[in-house]
Amino acid sequence: MKDLGTSSMVTIILAVLALLGAEAALWLSYFYAPVQITAGALFVVSPTPGVNTLNLYESHRIFFIHLPSAYATALCCGLCLVGGVMHLLSRSEKWDALTVSASEVGLLAGAITLLTGSFWADYAWGTGRIGSGWNWEPRLTTMLILWLAFAALLALRGAMPNVQARMKLTAVYGILVAPLYPLVQKAIEIGQVSHPRSFSDLLSAPEIGTTKQVATLGLLLAFGAAVALRYSANRLSFQLQKERAA
Amino acid sequence: MSSSAPSAFVAFKTLLRRELLVELRTRSLLTSMGLFALLEVVVVGLGVRALPSDETFHRFVPAVLWVCVLFAAVVGVNRSALADREKGLHAAFLLLPFDPALIYLARLSSAFVFLSVVEVLLVLASVPLLRLQIPQEPWMLAVAALTNIGVLAPGVLLASATSSARGSEALLTILLLPVVVVVFLGAVGATDALAAGLGLAGAKPYLLLLCICGAMFPALGLLLYGRLHEA
Repeated sequence: MKDLGTSSMVTIILAVLALLGAEAALWLSYFYAPVQITAGALFVVSPTPGVNTLNLYESHRIFFIHLPSAYATALCCGLCLVGGVMHLLSRSEKWDALTVSASEVGLLAGAITLLTGSFWADYAWGTGRIGSGWNWEPRLTTMLILWLAFAALLALRGAMPNVQARMKLTAVYGILVAPLYPLVQKAIEIGQVSHPRSFSDLLSAPEIGTTKQVATLGLLLAFGAAVALRYSANRLSFQLQKERAA
Repeated sequence: MSSSAPSAFVAFKTLLRRELLVELRTRSLLTSMGLFALLEVVVVGLGVRALPSDETFHRFVPAVLWVCVLFAAVVGVNRSALADREKGLHAAFLLLPFDPALIYLARLSSAFVFLSVVEVLLVLASVPLLRLQIPQEPWMLAVAALTNIGVLAPGVLLASATSSARGSEALLTILLLPVVVVVFLGAVGATDALAAGLGLAGAKPYLLLLCICGAMFPALGLLLYGRLHEA
């Protein structure tokens, strides 16, 4: 159980750094990043290409949460892949715990990405009414699918009574889910393209770039701390089950 | 007399022949998959008969048919895995002296044949029932083949593992659909582009997506099937 103690230390350090990072990101996003009023390249977010009718004003501040959450979802996908492959190679329960923790945090990060994206899309692409911005274009849909895949991975844990079979299926499913994120990234290239291709397409002020970097670092640390916390909890829970069965 | 294990090709041929012969005798998979898909067409036909225009209806029908194919595939792979589990054949197969990946390949190939038969029946039934206009494009065959592989490859893999779980039918559906919705996106997009007369150029991004899934999922299945079932 020595490595459990180490992971608790890692969790505490990550949590403290995440708290500082999140505070800094919040302050920068409200008091440092300027109001976006330039209509320069804004047609990339307009449903009608070439029509510059939309100013973002204060709405772009939501990107400082949306974008890092999307990165965290990608990171969780990668962790599911690593946990799945390593579990099938080593049969160690610690890799199973990593896959489960990553999918739990991926579910949270994916939900934040979808919700913040939808709120903004309702303003930018829709009429302001809830749900009016959801246009079923490939990137939105594939992100929703990825979120459902994380939910499915957690659902299978409750349905498999055999521990070894459950761990193996979790590992295999973690590997199957992983290629979905690159597809989310590539999905922008097919079909309708309302979604901005990159952050810099949309906003170019240097203060916004700095805020984006700090917010990304702070929120990735926060999601990292959440993964570490869930990892410790999942390993303790497995240990408890083993001792009860013994 | 030689005691060596049969070659991979002979083993695959024997396993595939067994799958096809069992189905020819019982016809249980084709009956359940075919009836399920036809019932879906009838229910959808009833539900959408009041759609405003023919144009909307014609764009809607291919997507509906792909949904029917998707669910027919789920029914097929699940029934096949459950039948083997109930008869104890699944464990017996794993004792055979060859690579478990060959069992996976034989299952995938037989499921591909069955789903293709169901698709032909579905298209024939949809011409009068849903006023389906079949796209006169040879590329549609490639779309159908790649979609079948993309859906069945993870389906066969996951069904073999979930057949022992509580509520395996629901669990397989929950696990499989998020993985294969990407294939569904490619199938619907490519069909839409080909039906609109855009040709290969219009369908290219979707065909590329189907090619990626059609190569990646069987490769993962071959790699993981043995690992999933080793003691």
